[in-house]
Amino acid sequence: MEIKVKCNCGVENCSEWAILELQGVVESQPSIANQIQGLEIGRLCCSSSSSQVNYTFTVGYHELSGTKVSLKKPLLVLKKNKQEEGSVSNNEVDLEVIGIIRHKILFKNRPKAIISRPQVKDKKASD
Amino acid sequence: MATNKGDINDGGAESFLTLGPDNSVTVRYHPDFGPHSDLILLEVPDDSVLNDLLRGRVTIRGQFDEDAVLCTPSSTYAMKFVGTSNSVFLIPPGNPNLSDPQPNPLVSVLKLAPGNVELVLTAPRLDKLRFLLMQRLYKIDEEDEEDCSSEGLYTWHDLICSIQASDEELREGLKFLSAVEINGFWRIVHPKSVNMILTMVLTNSVLHDWSLDALVEEEVLSVLESDGFNTTIVKHCLETFGTKNENDNSKLWGLDKKRIAVHFAKQVLGSNGGKMRLEIFIEKWMRNVQKGTPFDLNMLEGEVLYETIGAETWIKAFSVADLPLTPDARFSVLFKERAKWAWKDLEPYVRDLRVPGISSEGLLIKYTRRVQPNADAEPIFSAR
Repeated sequence: MEIKVKCNCGVENCSEWAILELQGVVESQPSIANQIQGLEIGRLCCSSSSSQVNYTFTVGYHELSGTKVSLKKPLLVLKKNKQEEGSVSNNEVDLEVIGIIRHKILFKNRPKAIISRPQVKDKKASD
Repeated sequence: MATNKGDINDGGAESFLTLGPDNSVTVRYHPDFGPHSDLILLEVPDDSVLNDLLRGRVTIRGQFDEDAVLCTPSSTYAMKFVGTSNSVFLIPPGNPNLSDPQPNPLVSVLKLAPGNVELVLTAPRLDKLRFLLMQRLYKIDEEDEEDCSSEGLYTWHDLICSIQASDEELREGLKFLSAVEINGFWRIVHPKSVNMILTMVLTNSVLHDWSLDALVEEEVLSVLESDGFNTTIVKHCLETFGTKNENDNSKLWGLDKKRIAVHFAKQVLGSNGGKMRLEIFIEKWMRNVQKGTPFDLNMLEGEVLYETIGAETWIKAFSVADLPLTPDARFSVLFKERAKWAWKDLEPYVRDLRVPGISSEGLLIKYTRRVQPNADAEPIFSAR
């Protein structure tokens, strides 16, 4: 079986996606359960000191610090499409390149607890 | 609010990535946040593969019971899913504030990615190709026979769907097997038919006083066609045993003495395993090969093995072209044939092995045990 990997964006026009990566897991209050669509996770701030650009991500009462990283090997975002009824090929799926990721903001330091500002909606589970 | 997933354009990736000092942005779950298991992250090993992917020159090949491989026009990659214990939040491009106006800038994460697919350069899986094409060897009088079904016959498209190799590697594999496309199907010609046509070409060369270094294609094809031989097959014979020189108007072929000598050696010995006393072989071989064609046993490197039985030397057909292409299967067959190999005998049977990322020395270290009693002695290789 042969599945073609389509790309309608071409070399120049591939949409750029991004990644925010942290160690550990973000959890919501049990009352929220699975209704997290649209829910705020946290606030991302940027600051610069002498040579570096730093990022701070505040989730609940945790503060994470991180940096922007360029991916040595870029990631492509592929989408699996189920073939429509009556299509020419006899495969059930095809694949399409819909985006590229070249950078991510990575938080890999231990989170700092902010005691003075407890958030009600979200909490961060530490590793 | 449901969006057409084909154009997710409200994630805010750009504002996320261009966030500057003293600025901040709220990160939230996208209104459509979910598993989105139809979205896959693929790590691209280098710019050449990236280019092929963005230009739509990549396919995924394999049968349902095989691990899928990704093929560019010239290379084959194994696909391996690598999970992560980190939380990897995927942010689509676009402007979230457009669809959901808010006072503050916004970034929406669509999905938590469990990991990504890595690509590992791999040798093309071509052993299956020989297996498929050996199912129905092409014989010269085939068209006259009753059986006109296309069962066991494979078109180029059939091969692409069955063989896990890039187009370029598949073509090389077909060339290596001396396969030829007849009526849209790729075929290996039956050895008896190959011999018949080659013999006809050589006999006619003597009859018509053709030079074996400069056979005129048109002339050869028309003479053999009048004898009832399919021109595609005759041309394939010229390609198998010769090299073309384009010269003025006519196409000229020079036959390769070595390839012809090897062919007749195989005719004398029979297929793999056929053996006879060396003197008898040489006598028969000399009789078959064209007069004036120089030949020597060195031409048969990688085609024959020698055994000493009592006081006699015997020669045995053992062609590297018939052996498996993957290193573990190759060494297994070699050590089944002989428990111990001297390097000079082993080398012709391993020199064609190619595995991305491993050198030939690496392959020997991995699959053999090497013994060398002292610096002057020849190393001996046996199974690990």
